Amino acid sequence: MLVLSRKIGEVVTVGSSVKVTVLSFDRGIVRLGIEAPKSIPVHRKEVYDKIIELNRQASKTDLSSLKTAMSKVGLKFRNQVNEGKVAPSLKFSVKKQNIEEEK
Amino acid sequence: MPNRKIEITTLQFGDLEVGEEHIFNFEQGLLGFDDLHEFVLVSEEETIPFKWLISLEEPEIGFPLLSPWHIDLSYEPGRDFNLDREVLMVVITLEDEKGLMTANMKAPIIFDIEKQTGRQVIMTSDRYSTNQVISTK
Repeated sequence: MLVLSRKIGEVVTVGSSVKVTVLSFDRGIVRLGIEAPKSIPVHRKEVYDKIIELNRQASKTDLSSLKTAMSKVGLKFRNQVNEGKVAPSLKFSVKKQNIEEEK
Repeated sequence: MPNRKIEITTLQFGDLEVGEEHIFNFEQGLLGFDDLHEFVLVSEEETIPFKWLISLEEPEIGFPLLSPWHIDLSYEPGRDFNLDREVLMVVITLEDEKGLMTANMKAPIIFDIEKQTGRQVIMTSDRYSTNQVISTK
């Protein structure tokens, strides 16, 4: 880790397109201003880590667990009528074929 | 030119035959899964309207997804998304101990229908939660 000391108002550059400015320091909280192009996402690390954790957990979901959870949530999904905002039916989804159908 | 067909063995659905037209390319992968780049979206009758994002490189990996508007009809992802060409879905996580289903409304998965590409984006605003509980209310 590169450690730099900055006074309020001073700037650190990361690569050619990212600039971090120390805006203020008050009661233990540092406010940082970050300028970066849209192609470089900037987020608080704990949000980033949380999303990674959620993805990892989700990736292990099995079919029966989801079915059980759906039945607990109830008829909520079956009754959705609002076609306008619901994602258009994705014609590129692969439908699971019944083994009987294929024969 | 014949369409490329691929056979994969998935954790949830057993063997599937996938056509090239079903494959989405995720250049950056997903958060926490940087090395997975090719995915298909699978519909399974009993879990509709959920969809499953299955990895072609590691078919045991599959993410349950749902349209965010099933959860919050007023969901507004903001100007960074072009809803004419891009389909947004959110990752669903089950918390077995509490029997809860939560959706990550803050980091949706974006599918570009025309280019057959996908990405996961973290919204800059704090308006939406990574752990939105889905309930009957």
